[in-house]
Amino acid sequence: MRIGCSPGLRAWARLFAVAFPLTLAVCAQSLERAEALWKARDYKGANNEFRLLVEKFPANPDYRVRWGRLFLDHDQAEEAAGLFQEALELKKDHAGALLGLALIAAEQYSGGAEELARKALAADPKLLEAQELLASLALEDNDNAKAAAEARKALAIDSNSVEGRAILAVIDWLADKKETPWDPHQARGYETAGHFFMINRRYEEAIQYFRKAVDLDPNLDSARSQLGINLMRLGRNEEAYRQLETCYNNGFQDKATRNSLKLMDSYKNFVTFQTDRTILKLNRKEAELLRPYFESEMRRAIATYEKKYQFKLAQPVQVEAYPDHEDFAVRTLGMPGLGALGVTFGYAIAMDSPSGRTPGSFHWDSTLWHEMSHVFTLAMTNHRVPRWFTEGMAVHEETAASPEWGDRITPEILMAIKNKELLPVAEMDRGFVHPKTEVQVIVSYFQAGRICDYINDKFGWNTLLAMIYDFGQGDETSAVIRKELKMEPAEFDKQFIASVEASTKSMVDGFDQWQKGVKQVAESAGKKDWDAVIKEGTAIRDLYPDYVEAASVYEFLAQAYTAKGNQAAAMDELERYVHKGGRNPESIKQLAAALAVGGRKKEAAEVLDRLNLIYPEDADLHQRLGALWLDEGNAAGAVREFRAVVARGPLDPAQAHYDLARAYRLNHQPDEAKDELLASLEAAPGFRPAQKLLLELSAESEQAPRDSVKK
Amino acid sequence: MKLAVLLAAAALSAPAATFYLTIAGLGGEADYDQRFKMWAEDIDTSLKRAGGDTVVVTLQAPTRDEIRARFADLTRQVKPADAFVLMLIGHGSDDGVEYKFNIPGPDITGVELASLLDRIPAARQLVVNMTSSSGGSIEFLRKPNRVVISATKTGTEKNATVFARYWAEALRDPAADTDKNESVSALEAFHFAERKTSEFYDTQKRLSTEHAVLEDTGKGEGERNPSPENGEGRLAAVFPVVRLGANAAAARDPSKRALLDKKEQLEQTIDKLKYEKAAMPEAEYKKQLTALLLDLARTQEALEK
Repeated sequence: MRIGCSPGLRAWARLFAVAFPLTLAVCAQSLERAEALWKARDYKGANNEFRLLVEKFPANPDYRVRWGRLFLDHDQAEEAAGLFQEALELKKDHAGALLGLALIAAEQYSGGAEELARKALAADPKLLEAQELLASLALEDNDNAKAAAEARKALAIDSNSVEGRAILAVIDWLADKKETPWDPHQARGYETAGHFFMINRRYEEAIQYFRKAVDLDPNLDSARSQLGINLMRLGRNEEAYRQLETCYNNGFQDKATRNSLKLMDSYKNFVTFQTDRTILKLNRKEAELLRPYFESEMRRAIATYEKKYQFKLAQPVQVEAYPDHEDFAVRTLGMPGLGALGVTFGYAIAMDSPSGRTPGSFHWDSTLWHEMSHVFTLAMTNHRVPRWFTEGMAVHEETAASPEWGDRITPEILMAIKNKELLPVAEMDRGFVHPKTEVQVIVSYFQAGRICDYINDKFGWNTLLAMIYDFGQGDETSAVIRKELKMEPAEFDKQFIASVEASTKSMVDGFDQWQKGVKQVAESAGKKDWDAVIKEGTAIRDLYPDYVEAASVYEFLAQAYTAKGNQAAAMDELERYVHKGGRNPESIKQLAAALAVGGRKKEAAEVLDRLNLIYPEDADLHQRLGALWLDEGNAAGAVREFRAVVARGPLDPAQAHYDLARAYRLNHQPDEAKDELLASLEAAPGFRPAQKLLLELSAESEQAPRDSVKK
Repeated sequence: MKLAVLLAAAALSAPAATFYLTIAGLGGEADYDQRFKMWAEDIDTSLKRAGGDTVVVTLQAPTRDEIRARFADLTRQVKPADAFVLMLIGHGSDDGVEYKFNIPGPDITGVELASLLDRIPAARQLVVNMTSSSGGSIEFLRKPNRVVISATKTGTEKNATVFARYWAEALRDPAADTDKNESVSALEAFHFAERKTSEFYDTQKRLSTEHAVLEDTGKGEGERNPSPENGEGRLAAVFPVVRLGANAAAARDPSKRALLDKKEQLEQTIDKLKYEKAAMPEAEYKKQLTALLLDLARTQEALEK
């Protein structure tokens, strides 16, 4: 149920007021009644009362603010923000309205929350909730000193401030101190503790605190909902569902609760494949297709990381791949600054399936290796690693696995470097948890990754390993930098930023020229002026070689060379594009086709194989790659690819089963080959190539016993 | 004896021809004009390349008078034993009362198209209306012995369609020939194009704005999944749109009649066995199927000698 305050209803309310003045008079005076209905979770009733109040007293901002808080409580931030803004139009420094907007910003982890809370406090220095919010925001940034100072200010306003005590207690608890003088002994306080353990990825402890909160106050459904969601994150679905269903039945039906229940209802469409090291959950419709690729990459990543991190995982890693991005998004609801592609909860990874994104926009294997790295850093530190460092290691691992993987330098990152917007290393978490803009998250991922690259290059891998263990001991970033890099964080920033600026200088300096040039190239391509495309494209291509997104210079050049009949030059451009990390399936297939035509079948197959890690849903890919592997005598590769064709539910089942039969035969699996031939001929009994192969196989199986008798 | 005489007569009689008329309508924008023209040319090329006893006519953005004139020519040429295929590519519109195919000058309505088709003597007809809103034309075009395929389910699916792109692909891609009889039937081409169209929208992460249907009973609304259960697709399954090989050659050689009869008998037995699959042990099914398929393969080999 969503409550609304549409103009139509307002008009109706006005009419109602004219027709029934006595009734309205009673309602208009009923702020207390509105509050009581709200407390009783009769949101509809409370909404009606507030609407009548605002109608009756349009110049009173207080009613709008309370009405806004009702909306906020009902998970309707947009409507709430509208009412807070209306209140500010009536009174520009209304503390409650400013606080309301600050709470919305905080809930969305946006950077403006602190400024709004401070404005609210300036308007009303005794506004406890604003002071408590400042403490909470500081702790979310892992700035313990600031958080403690703000929490003490809250306690100075009201010595019974539950939130103030909870923040101080959480600082102790996060530092693994079992006893604290600040234990709030209240359900709301434990709920706050649960929140902080959750955003620090310490889900088990988060669950304990949410459970404690619910035990103290069984009616605290916001804590119960979080208990359910975090249980779901760790895969304890049965209890998770029970807790969330209780919330729902109690009338607590915020977006997170509703969507989590909906997601768990959809789990019936998923199948689970378990091995000794891996648990893979895939949607039934694509499970057979994706399983071989995911399982082999999961095993490869685990083996690589166990050796590299010198750490043995205690249990299998679970990966869930969602073909519907909205389902995946439910897994990250209420969490700050998370990457949009994957998320790791201890030993469980949730991520978009390759089919959840447009082809070429997503390198699923790069994402998998990124998330797998989190599994290791979280397990090695017992979840006590700062956000920036685990993300930095994960980004570092993407390009360590393959230089073609990982995200390229985007124009936004170049601008951030140019405008000197990189954060000091000690404040990196802020860029993830409370980014000032969406771009800051992207820049922070890049910066964190580059910091780990830099430390690896300059100080060696063992230094990074030592840092992981330091973080596991609870050391803060500044202390770890001093201990392992033997320098002050400010000195590190100086050296690191100088290194980044040097390595990106040519791109930063050439970006404006590239930007102008690429527009001209696109225009020339539109006019099919291929000579101009080649002239302009070759002039600007290397000014920004990392740009491999839509309308890349490499692809324009390949198009131009193809149109001019210069296949060799077109192929060179596409090879550059692929090696720079280009992911457009059509361009990759074009390169593979050109290589195959030129007799370079093995290279063609290797190029196509890249696409399996980007968009394995492409039927044409598996058909072509299977044929290439078959020609090259890679029987196992051909079996895998033709199995993918069959798993996808081919348009041409007879051909698909026949191809798979040939691959099995080459792989010395005659029984499987025969089964596939039968499937082919069952679909098309007159299919001549399959008939011929059946006769050959039959002759071979008749010959085999005779040969054995002769021996 | 009587059957043998009839078969001989059939073998000696002149084979029926297939007449194809493809019309690309008005794009309205350069991009659509180019796209419609390209798809029509693609179809034209595939049909001409396939050869056989066919007459292939393609009109690019004709006026209503030009369409009428071409139909008049065809009405004179086509014999009742021939097959006739009309393919429409472009934009269509439907106001809930009338379907119109957009062409330069006055548009042509579904009613008029039906009237022109009714004058074509060919007993077997196929109409593939690939325009937007083409679902609105089914009620005018459907008729016994006529297969009607439309790119959209109803007249209310008004967005430009991509079905034609994949229909054109079906006429040149051997993958569309799912039963491997070296010809692509209307039903096979429909399934191919419908599946590829769905994949296009899935891949692009776009809400599908076209849902192709097939109607060949002369009285239905069109089915997205023609099947024996809904009674649609029987006529389409035996309506060859394009032949990919010379599979008819053997049928004209009287000396191979016995082998052909055996082949047909084996194919029927295999079909029967497939229906019985669910009711028999898997091993037994495989054994019987293998024996039949081996026999069929050897018979086919003998036919090719």
